[in-house]
Amino acid sequence: MCPEKGISKTMSKTNIDEINRNIYDIKNKDEYEFKIKKGLTPEIIKEISIQKRDPEWMRDFRLKALEVYNKLELPTWGPDLSELNMEEIATYVRPKTKLNNSWEDVPEDIKTTFDKLGIPEAEKTSLAGVGAQYDSEVVYHSMKEELIKQGVIYTDMETAVREYPDLVQKHFMKCVPIYDHKFVALHGAVWSGGSFVYVPKGIKVDIPLQSYFRLNSPESGQFEHTLIIVDEGASLHFIEGCSAPKYNKVNLHAGCVELYVKDNAYLRYSTIENWSKNMLNLNTKKAIVGKNAKMEWVSGSFGSKISMLYPMSILNGEGSKTEFTGISFAGKGQNLDNGFKVIHNAKNTSSVVNAKSISKNGGKCTYRSLVRIEENAKNSKSSVSCESLMLDDISISDTIPVNDIKTDEVEFSHEAKIGKISDKTIFYLMSRGLSEEDAKAMIVRGFAYPISKELPVEYAVEMNNLINLELEGSIG
Amino acid sequence: MKQTLLEIKDLCVKAEDKEILKGINLKINKGEIHVIMGPNGSGKTTTANAILNNPAYTKTNGTINFEGTDITNSKTDEIARNGVFMSFQLPEEIPGVSVTNFLKYAKNKATGEPVKIFKFKQELKQYMEELNMNSNNMERSLNVGFSGGEKKKNEILQMLVLNPKLAILDETDSGLDVDAIKTVSKGIEMFKNDDNAILIITHNTKILHSLKVDYVHVLVNGKIVKTGEQELANEIEANGYEQYKHKA
Amino acid sequence: MQTLKLNETPIRTCRNFNINNIKLENIEIPNTINKFNNIKITGDISLISNNTSDIKLTYGIEEGLIKQIKEYQNAKIAINCNGKLQCTHEKLDIDFNLDEDNSTLLENLEIIANENSKSTIILKYKSEKDLEFWHNGVIRVNAKKNSEINIILVNLLNIKSNNFMSIENNIEGNAKVKYTIIDFGGKNSITNYYSNIIGENADNKINTIYLGKENQLFDLNYIGELRGKKSNIDIEVQGALTDKAKKHFKGTIDFKKGCKKATGNENEACMLLSDTAKSLALPMLLCSEEDVEGNHSSSAGKIGEKELFYIMSRGFELKEAMKLIVRAKFNKIIENIDNEELKEEISNEIDKRLD
Repeated sequence: MCPEKGISKTMSKTNIDEINRNIYDIKNKDEYEFKIKKGLTPEIIKEISIQKRDPEWMRDFRLKALEVYNKLELPTWGPDLSELNMEEIATYVRPKTKLNNSWEDVPEDIKTTFDKLGIPEAEKTSLAGVGAQYDSEVVYHSMKEELIKQGVIYTDMETAVREYPDLVQKHFMKCVPIYDHKFVALHGAVWSGGSFVYVPKGIKVDIPLQSYFRLNSPESGQFEHTLIIVDEGASLHFIEGCSAPKYNKVNLHAGCVELYVKDNAYLRYSTIENWSKNMLNLNTKKAIVGKNAKMEWVSGSFGSKISMLYPMSILNGEGSKTEFTGISFAGKGQNLDNGFKVIHNAKNTSSVVNAKSISKNGGKCTYRSLVRIEENAKNSKSSVSCESLMLDDISISDTIPVNDIKTDEVEFSHEAKIGKISDKTIFYLMSRGLSEEDAKAMIVRGFAYPISKELPVEYAVEMNNLINLELEGSIG
Repeated sequence: MKQTLLEIKDLCVKAEDKEILKGINLKINKGEIHVIMGPNGSGKTTTANAILNNPAYTKTNGTINFEGTDITNSKTDEIARNGVFMSFQLPEEIPGVSVTNFLKYAKNKATGEPVKIFKFKQELKQYMEELNMNSNNMERSLNVGFSGGEKKKNEILQMLVLNPKLAILDETDSGLDVDAIKTVSKGIEMFKNDDNAILIITHNTKILHSLKVDYVHVLVNGKIVKTGEQELANEIEANGYEQYKHKA
Repeated sequence: MQTLKLNETPIRTCRNFNINNIKLENIEIPNTINKFNNIKITGDISLISNNTSDIKLTYGIEEGLIKQIKEYQNAKIAINCNGKLQCTHEKLDIDFNLDEDNSTLLENLEIIANENSKSTIILKYKSEKDLEFWHNGVIRVNAKKNSEINIILVNLLNIKSNNFMSIENNIEGNAKVKYTIIDFGGKNSITNYYSNIIGENADNKINTIYLGKENQLFDLNYIGELRGKKSNIDIEVQGALTDKAKKHFKGTIDFKKGCKKATGNENEACMLLSDTAKSLALPMLLCSEEDVEGNHSSSAGKIGEKELFYIMSRGFELKEAMKLIVRAKFNKIIENIDNEELKEEISNEIDKRLD
């Protein structure tokens, strides 16, 4: 993250030069005090459970999830996951530090990394709270005083399991059941770290809460669990940023995000994901949306080798709404299979989807989605728009949307477009003095604007930087 | 002696394997307004695109010099940065890029100097008022959802902001109502001075009523068949192109 | 009784979206195949022979059903549109009538549209009685350079029968292949349509209307692979469903490497006339070439209240008003048929089926 870079330079060429991929590639010495044996057995799960000081119910839950994991098959669709060998991936890495509540207490090398990514700056300037996860433990957590006074809870997931057992047990993996798919089951068994947020009834958190995930250790998996409950009439904007330095071996990320947006509540969940290009990002995100509540997803997907990410809104409450605004940008060696799922499960619900993708340099983007309007969802509306941009003729862009309409009183529409940047448009911009590269970059940034405008300024800047970074030297 | 800005010699141009321009000669000095008139398909737009070296057109013969530099094969953006501007007949839509950001960026490219945003916005606002443009358009995506008239005015706005040495206006008057044509003419007058020049490409003469034109060239079937002064435009308005067609 | 798994999509998606294939349960596959005598052919019958080539399909509805045709075909028709006479428009009408004595139709139809030929072929499938008939057919079209072929496929079978159709086209340079498909009949009406659009400027248009009632199920799997430069495909599907009818539309436009400047459009709209009718759609765009233009749009919903109100205010009952609107929507596609009698027949069928 580079929030210190300022806003006014978004469009200037100098910004492109300032960015250096290296800042995302800082590796720390792979130090750890404890790294469990590779592979997955009930013994390992029990070991994790002890390490985590789990209550009994959580330990049993993990063992149950392991059983399910061993039964389920890998998906029969989507990107090829054959390179993934679970026996090879150490599922649990714990860094050398305990939970800190002051930035000064975070060990120097970890701190340097986060500093370079701009985390504390972001906090200092505009964010209500920051949780940063380094490998599997949350190392730093803080929240503004006034929010604490209002009863807002923002803590790491392990602490939440111990300190808020009722809230957690009632919601934990109820939104995303372990039977959903193999990687959710795996997550249930080995989850570690993550954030817990509870916003009490009627409380409006008007500045964004942020968490930051980072994978450092080679061959380690990250299985953080995010559980957010926005109670009736409350509102929240939560930002998740993800990044990992580059290693040669495959890294796995199988996190899980569960969001409960209660009646009349509002939640916006924003993600900028820039995992390194060897990451398998098999993340599961789901929201259950109550009566007249609104769930908004904003998602930018830039990193990873393979990504299979389909955030889902279940519109259970009458009059509930959801919006998804997302962009994927796949470059060389990347296969980003992303999309969105929505189930309309009550009257008068509505969904709006605006998905974009950019493929270049042999990268592959797939938009895969589901819109399901159930029989009881009378008078519901859904409108979907997908746009894909091909930057060269060696890349791939696929659109695979399923539209499942089970009743008549609905308004459903879906539109998709694939194409390249038109030569006429490039000529137009060049006739105004822009070089071909600048012209293309401007068009691409404009293409991504509907997403970047939904992000807080420093994230929008980062996204534009990422786009510039991706485009650098690859077009012209 | 007037200083030559643009000089085209024996220019032949093909588009999609069809020969469009068949030997054009044209010389434009500083301080002059030139008009190229001609019926549809005579090669007017091709001339404009050839000057800006649009890669969709191929030059098979001839040269183009701008201020003594050969720009025949220069890249479009270099030609633009040297001070040639073209107002498009059909301006492209650029979603997600606001008018302000676009112009600021282009201005920066043209001058090579950083643009001071506050002053720049003031200047922009002033021009927009002069051109009867809604200043809310500043933050809208470039040309997206603009009406035909708004697009053309936006082209004139860009011309004023970028302040080129030579402005080529390709059918800027087509499809505009009387008031819009007046506004566009006003923009052209604001722009015009002794150090720059304008090349107006049109198939009708409406826009010429309120401008003092130095030369009128009649382009028919890829050739300039006659060059004259303002009266030539009036004559064409009265009699049409028929009499010139056999000459091509 | 058997369970059939048919019409696999070219690319799989999540299994619980229930669209990768269609499963038909309790299907009774006929085990005795008799001769099929009820074929009526009119028009330029000199084009017809029985010299069909071996059936080899890239996709096809399902291996077993294709094998059934290979082994037991009872209608073997080769059509050779020769276009020897310049500017002639060759025409053929083929009617298949299923009845008690001709209850199973396994047709193998091969059409070769030779260079510069121009032809229109109408294929009509009807059933006399309300029995469970079985229709399983293969249509192969080889459109040579500069040929133009117009195929009108009319399925007016009853709603107790099984209707299976595998269509494959090979379209060479500058050839135009146009399909108008009227898909009304069958308890299960399953169509697999594949076009290999291989030549430069090759053009393929598919216009389909379907109409479903009671427990009818339609599964349409349309695949267009664009390989030729500047080639084009347009898929237009309009449908209406009432009662508990179900439709699965799977439309794939695949821009293969090398199809520079190709274009593909897919538009699918489903009118839901009851709250138990179901529309499932998967309009795919696959793209491995840069300089192309692909669009698809898909929509579903009931007939607009305003539209209905307007028509009813002119004295139409609700049902009549609905019929009128459905017919109006379908007319755009029916207009493609250059045969007044057939148009009338289709129009009457819409009325009858929506009664």
